Parts: sequence; C-alpha cells; structure tokens
Amino acid sequence: MEEVFWNSIASYNAATWPWQIAMTALSAFFALVLWIRPCTWAKIAAKVYMVILSLWIAFVYYMKFGSVREYSNVMTIFWCMVAASWIYDLATHFSSFQKSGRYSIWGLVMLVLPLAYPLVSVLRGLEFPQITTPVIPSAVALYMLGMLMTFNRKINFFAFLLVLHWSVIAISKIAIFKIPEDALLAAACIPSLVIFFLQALKSAGQEMKPCYKSVRMLVLAVALILAGCMAAVA
Amino acid sequence: MSMGGENRMTREYLSEIADFIARYLSYMLGAGVHTSRVVRNSKRIGGALGVDVSVHTSQKTATLTVSGKDNGLHDTRVVDIPPFPISFEWNADLSALSWAAHDEEMSLDAIRHKFDELVSKPKMNPIFVLFMASLANASFCRLFGGDIWAMLITFTATMVGFFTRQHLTRKKVNHYIVFIASAFVASICASTALALGIDTAEIALATSVLYLVPGVPLINGVIDITDGHIQIGISRLVNAFMLIICIAIGMSVTLMLVKDSLL
Repeated sequence: MEEVFWNSIASYNAATWPWQIAMTALSAFFALVLWIRPCTWAKIAAKVYMVILSLWIAFVYYMKFGSVREYSNVMTIFWCMVAASWIYDLATHFSSFQKSGRYSIWGLVMLVLPLAYPLVSVLRGLEFPQITTPVIPSAVALYMLGMLMTFNRKINFFAFLLVLHWSVIAISKIAIFKIPEDALLAAACIPSLVIFFLQALKSAGQEMKPCYKSVRMLVLAVALILAGCMAAVA
Repeated sequence: MSMGGENRMTREYLSEIADFIARYLSYMLGAGVHTSRVVRNSKRIGGALGVDVSVHTSQKTATLTVSGKDNGLHDTRVVDIPPFPISFEWNADLSALSWAAHDEEMSLDAIRHKFDELVSKPKMNPIFVLFMASLANASFCRLFGGDIWAMLITFTATMVGFFTRQHLTRKKVNHYIVFIASAFVASICASTALALGIDTAEIALATSVLYLVPGVPLINGVIDITDGHIQIGISRLVNAFMLIICIAIGMSVTLMLVKDSLL
C-alpha cells in the first residue's frame, strides 16, 4: 500500500511539475495581492482559485494519478466537497478574506509551510519525482488553512472544518503511509482549531450556556487530545 | 392565589388562564415533551388556579378548553406548536413549575412570571453542542469497536456534518433536506477512512450519522401510543421514520458513490 502511494506521487510529479510550479506561483500571487491590495476582484479571484485548486487535487491528483490506490474515488468526492464549500462561499460571501489584525504573522508562516514539503522530503533522502510538493493534498490543505488564518476577519467555516478533517487524515497518514511531511499540516491544524473556535465563541455575542470559560476548556481539551494523538504517532 | 379565584372567576380572568396554559402547553409540546405529561401538567396548573382543563393535541396544533368549576364559563384556545429544539431542561423546569403552582398555591401572575423566567434562560452554545455531539459519536465509534484512527475520523466527520445541520437549520432550509445533506456530508467525510485502509473504517462510516437519529420523537411516539394518545403518537413516529429515511437516503448516496453498493 505504501509503495503504491509513493509510486502514484512519483508519476503525478513527473507529469505535472510545470503545472505545479505555475500553481505555486499563483498561490503566492493571490496571498500577496490579498495582503497588499485586498480589493473585491482579488477576493473573488482568490476564491475561484481555491475552487480550481480543490478540483485539481480531486481530478488530477486522485482521479488521474491516484486511481491505482484503493478508494481513491472517495478522496475525489471529498475534494469536490472542499471545492463546493468555496463555491458556496462565492455565492453567499460566507468569508471576507480580510485581515483582522490578529494572527496574521502566524498565517504567513502557515502560507510558507507548503514550500517546506519538498525540503523535508529531500532532507530525509527522497529524490524527485518521488517527493512531496506544495501541490499535493496536504500541502494544499495547509495553504488553505494559511489563507484562512491570514485573512481571518470572517472565515469560511465549512472549508476550515473540511481542512481540519483532512488534518486528522494527515495524522493517520504519518503512521500508515510513513509520510512525516504531513506533520506540518497536523501541527498547524491544532492552533488553528483553538484560534478559530475561540474567535467564533467570542463573536457569538449573546449570553449562552455553558459559560465561555467552560467551552474554552472543552476546545482546549480536544486540541490537547489531538496533539496527544500526534505525539503518539511521532 | 390558590383560588381566591372562585370569587373573581370572571370571563376575563378565565381568558387569561386559558392564554397562559395555551402558551405553557405549546412550549412543552414544542420542546419534545410526551403528551400525557403535558396534559397532566396543564391540568395540574388549571387545578391550582381553580379551573378544569381539557386538552386535545395533534402534531402541529393543540386545542384546550378551560372551564370554571361551578360558574359554567368556558374558554377555548387553538394554538400552533412552535418547533423548538428538544429541551430536557424545559421539560424538567416546566414540570417542576406545575408542581410548584399546585403545592405553593401560586397566583396566575406568579406562575406567569416564573414561566417567563424559565423559558428565557440562556440558550445552549452551538459550539459546545457541536463538540459534544462529535465527542459522543467518537465514543459510539469506540463502543462499536473502532480504533483510535476511526474515532478521530468519526469525530471530525461528525463535526462537518453537524455544522452543516446547524448552518442549514439557521438558514431555515426544510429539515428533511437538512437531514439528507448532513447525513451525506458526515458519511462522505467518514468514508475517507476506507482510503486509509483502516481496519475499522466501516464502523467510522456507520457511526458518523448517529447524531441525526431522532431518539426523542421515537420514544415519545411510543409513550404517547401506550398512554392512549394514539393520534399524536403515530404522527410523532411517522415524523421520526421520515427523518430516519432521510438519514438512509444521505448514507445510501455515499455508499453508492463510494462502494458501488449499499452494503
């Protein structure tokens, strides 16, 4: 299973590396534009790009090159759902892609982390094309998480939860497929879980029960459990 | 007043009692309390205020007639049953209120004041509910033999599905569609466990939709039928079965897409 996994990554990289370079450049471009000049067209274009990126993973990565893996169609459907969450965002303006002035630096770090995927692969002795790249599912999920974190005034919670789900899959992939690069995504998802849910709690406004402190404790406890699972895998 | 009422049992006062009890029983029925308890509690409050109460309930509306004990006055109300979320807290608090009215001989104003206080308590935090439902489903997964990976996947799959349900409900989408969509989303997310080759992936898939099972309407339906409220009992069971069919539709779509079969 592990061999099939790495062989499919190799054939994907060998066939699509120019596209991957172009997409990495586009990813950086959209992050920069939204950071420097967050105008309406840039926000819409960034969301359209998120849809394209998700569909690329669904159809090119999983359907074309990952079809040798068992149940790759499940992953295709899952990434179509991620695309659907961004299309829904486009239609309803669920997120604003605006900076809130908080956690932006942390967001920038997360935006750069996908570039570390090939570096980690090379450092542990892998060679092109059998290496992870910034345009594989976990790195794309990390990029989306970075975009949500950097521009977090009002986030697309559907996309966030789907990325969170993918992060849990990433944790299990570290153990099952021996892909330690996914630790980058897993490590980034835990603070994101705490930050986004605590932000949502604060913005709820009206008095609710249980009190803010108790729910915060619950969120932190769940984050600790996830971190514990990661540590156990490591 | 217990029944200083006898003297001042005017048509207006009877009407006020009818208004209050109509509101009281609509809140209880809306919050998912079984019918015989609602009828019993309404009659108890009526008794404490010196009136007889007769109630007829159906799935969407309730009819009650309040009658003065000796003066031959009657007042009838037909009320819509509001679709509140299931609330065990309202169930307990409002039942306790009926006993307090009976034991402490409370006046109508005092009962009304206490009622308003009880129903305006803060709502449950949706994020708390989201986390607890996800943890509950992950625990079910463990109970049915799932390993740690299946539990984690069930946890986040439930989170995505439950958030979908909360979001669509807030947008006032038809609740049958909400159930189909939530079951589909949760089960698709859980089915990613299959691709990882986890031994207990199917347990994750099966337990990811358990948060949708309409347990309260099912139990209430059976209790209502055994208590003789056949009509509303059957209505509640039919409603619960419709929801179960919706869950089955959502899950079937996933199974057809993922496994090319229903099993």
